[in-house]
Amino acid sequence: MTDKEASKATLSVGGMTCASCVAHVEGALKGVPGVKGAVVNLATGKASVDYDPARASILDMKKAVDEIGYEVVLNTASLRVTGMTCASCVANIQKAVGELPGVAKVVVNLAAGTARVDYESDVTPLAEIKKTIQALGYGAEEQMEGQAALDREKEAREREVKRQRNNLIMSGTLGMLVMIGMLQPYWFFPNFVPAILHNKLVMFVLTTPIVFGPGRQFFINSWNGLKRGLTDMNLLYATGIGAAYLIAVINTFWPDAGFGGEGVTFYEAAALLTAFIILGRYLEAVTRGRTSEAIRRLMKLQPKTARVLRDGQEMEIPAEEVQIDDLLLVRPGESIPVDGIVLEGYSSVDQSMITGESIPVEKKTGDEVIGGTINKTGAFRFRATRVGKDTALAQIIKLVEDAQTTKAPIQRIADKVAGHFILGVHALALIVFLFWFFVGYNLWFIPESRLILTPYTLSEMGVFGFALLISVAVLVISCPCAVGLATPSAIMAGSGKGAEHGILFKGAEAIENTAKLQAVIFDKTGTLTWGEPSVTDVLALGDLPEDKVLLMAAVAEKNSEHPLGEAIVHGARDRGLKLADAESFNAIPGHGVEAAFEGHNILLGNRKLMAERNIALEGQMAEAERLEHEGKTAMFVAVDGKFAGIVAVADTLKETSSLAVRALNNMGIQVVMITGDNRRTAEAIARQVGIDRVLAEVLPEDKASEVKKLQAEGLKVAMVGDGINDAPALAQADVGIAIGSGTDVAKETGEVILVKDDLMDVVAALQIGRQTLRLIKQNLFWAFGYNTLAIPLGAGLLYPFFAQMVSPELAALLMATSSLSVTLNTLRMRGYIPQIRRPGRAAPVPVSVSAEPVASQRGA
Amino acid sequence: MRNVVLVSGLIYTGISLALSAVFLVLTILGGYTWVARIGGAAWVFMLSMIILMPVVTPMVKKRAGG
Repeated sequence: MTDKEASKATLSVGGMTCASCVAHVEGALKGVPGVKGAVVNLATGKASVDYDPARASILDMKKAVDEIGYEVVLNTASLRVTGMTCASCVANIQKAVGELPGVAKVVVNLAAGTARVDYESDVTPLAEIKKTIQALGYGAEEQMEGQAALDREKEAREREVKRQRNNLIMSGTLGMLVMIGMLQPYWFFPNFVPAILHNKLVMFVLTTPIVFGPGRQFFINSWNGLKRGLTDMNLLYATGIGAAYLIAVINTFWPDAGFGGEGVTFYEAAALLTAFIILGRYLEAVTRGRTSEAIRRLMKLQPKTARVLRDGQEMEIPAEEVQIDDLLLVRPGESIPVDGIVLEGYSSVDQSMITGESIPVEKKTGDEVIGGTINKTGAFRFRATRVGKDTALAQIIKLVEDAQTTKAPIQRIADKVAGHFILGVHALALIVFLFWFFVGYNLWFIPESRLILTPYTLSEMGVFGFALLISVAVLVISCPCAVGLATPSAIMAGSGKGAEHGILFKGAEAIENTAKLQAVIFDKTGTLTWGEPSVTDVLALGDLPEDKVLLMAAVAEKNSEHPLGEAIVHGARDRGLKLADAESFNAIPGHGVEAAFEGHNILLGNRKLMAERNIALEGQMAEAERLEHEGKTAMFVAVDGKFAGIVAVADTLKETSSLAVRALNNMGIQVVMITGDNRRTAEAIARQVGIDRVLAEVLPEDKASEVKKLQAEGLKVAMVGDGINDAPALAQADVGIAIGSGTDVAKETGEVILVKDDLMDVVAALQIGRQTLRLIKQNLFWAFGYNTLAIPLGAGLLYPFFAQMVSPELAALLMATSSLSVTLNTLRMRGYIPQIRRPGRAAPVPVSVSAEPVASQRGA
Repeated sequence: MRNVVLVSGLIYTGISLALSAVFLVLTILGGYTWVARIGGAAWVFMLSMIILMPVVTPMVKKRAGG
């Protein structure tokens, strides 16, 4: 929040149930002077606000949202404040803290020595609040925030579920009695239902508590919205329930008023309409919590305590209090509290919760450990390197949370439609009313007709009652609740599923774009290959044996810092060769090296070097060319003026490269390789990995323009590469996929971050993206499809032909079914495993070495 | 801001009342009962208000430069 002109805050908003709530809250926030823009996500319950802190405060925004019937859930910190002595200390702290831009409320208790602060952490972090108090000369310490936040979120959700459950029990029980009372004279009901239940006054007594109890929320919320010129679903319900109840009351107490008389009371409509709407809300509250399970699971991974070694003593402290460079102990079965480097000990660690890797990873001295992962076998000691909000787990949680607050392009369209829908529905209800009032009633009304699934006839109903009934049914049946849930719930499920597999989508747009990809460009070095050259072939072509040839080459290169030289030294050590120091060493720029060892003169380098020193290579060139054709760098070795052999060095392909490329090809994705290597080498590698299209000899700075060229062909392009070196190309691509970022995910460029260095995750990312988009489309189909079908039914389309009409309560039941179908469809994502990760798929086949001559003048 | 609320309130209430009046006239010409006339006019007024409020308010706000 350094930019005072345009700050951004993310607020948690409770009580939203449908798409129009989104428009409602957005409208309220935008109405606050100083707020420049607001985007609300229904599924996450978050509002992202751009505002001018000089003109708008978090408190203003909270008030605006609270006023229209929703609730801004702020962070609450309980601080222990020391050093306060009098009431003025309290006033000072309250004033100073209260003036911070993100603070909505501060209550300081002198006697208890505490301060309770309601604040928005995105705007004013807790550290700033503490610093402000400390600057006044007091001490300030907070209690555990992370866990408190988790608990608070859970509490809020449980509170909402409980509230709707209580509402449902009340409205359902009474509503059933009203329904039975209404049916009392019909079928077999007279045999066991007392006639008193059919009494209009009894029905009035049973229905009134439903309308003014559980149903009250609809009236209050819609009125609060209307005052600000905002309409939402609550208005649909309020007008529906209100009209049905009002007619029932008029017909009970003033039966001759002309609204259909005693025979037409809509108590059951008002009662069941409320009950069904609340049933829908209850089911949404229950299932909506489940779609965000992934993030909660991640949050639960955060260990609560840590075993720290301080001043030689082992002590258990809250994990939040661990500081960088603290020494920590971890025993078998324990969670690793923060990120760090192993100093002592050996163990295997289950990292599946962070990286998606199912097999435990061995950890030894010098290895990195990730906070939140579980130590399996041994005990070890490690040094903390990242703590608090900087740990990999905290960064991942933040990334996933952020992703879930964004909107996919497809959602923006749905929101726009849903936002205008309420108005459209009211306009339609008015048109339908006028039509049936002036035209339809006279043309088609049959006194013996019935509402669908109800026993009594509409004989006593007048033109107004009839037209009003249809108008109310339209209002209720058209509710686009399901439309509002369709996309965000799927995005939440998709981003959570990605996180489970170590695939982090940076936003909803990233998921949607990933699903639409048509081409994937892989950077070669470090992406398809390991990026580190190694010895692939040693050919003894003179008098010396193979090991001796390698030994001579390695001795000559022992002090070299060139990547090829280092590869040869590593290669020799891997074979167990003991490397002594050369007696003399001379680098020949652009050619190779010359060294003296145990009285021998060693030459190692390219053709030019051999030619200059008159070393005869006749007969050996075929071998060298074969190696080069395979994309390897051939280095010639001569000892005492005689050609001794060739050492070939190349970068190696990752084991999963070809499998991933094959899987992408099978998915219909065009796979392209981009590299700075010469075409012959590049094509050799592309052949091995199964890529047909190669962009070779591309300078690093030109990679982005190559991506652009592919985009110009009309392709949706992903660039897979190193998040740092390939940043411009990643940024240019429709989807930048940063691979192998390890645990420092926050620093990565790109829209998709792969925690593991595994190309199979590129395939998995595409599969998760496609599945999520499929889910969104299915949800939208269910939601819009329902409305498309239901509205004509509600408007009385069937009546002229079958004399059947949808009752308002049946309309409410259909509406609840639509929301339920969407949430249940989204929940299917919980069991989804990307095809490439399903058990039984062939394990990656190790790929024989292939190559990359690292840009060098030493190669042949 | 207060002006915007007042002006927009006047506009949407005025239009809604006008629509209800038109409805009333039509029902009188059509020979409907008084219950149907008054009930219908009230329903037309209410729906018109609901439709017009969110349309008129932003328009007035925009014209007022808010």
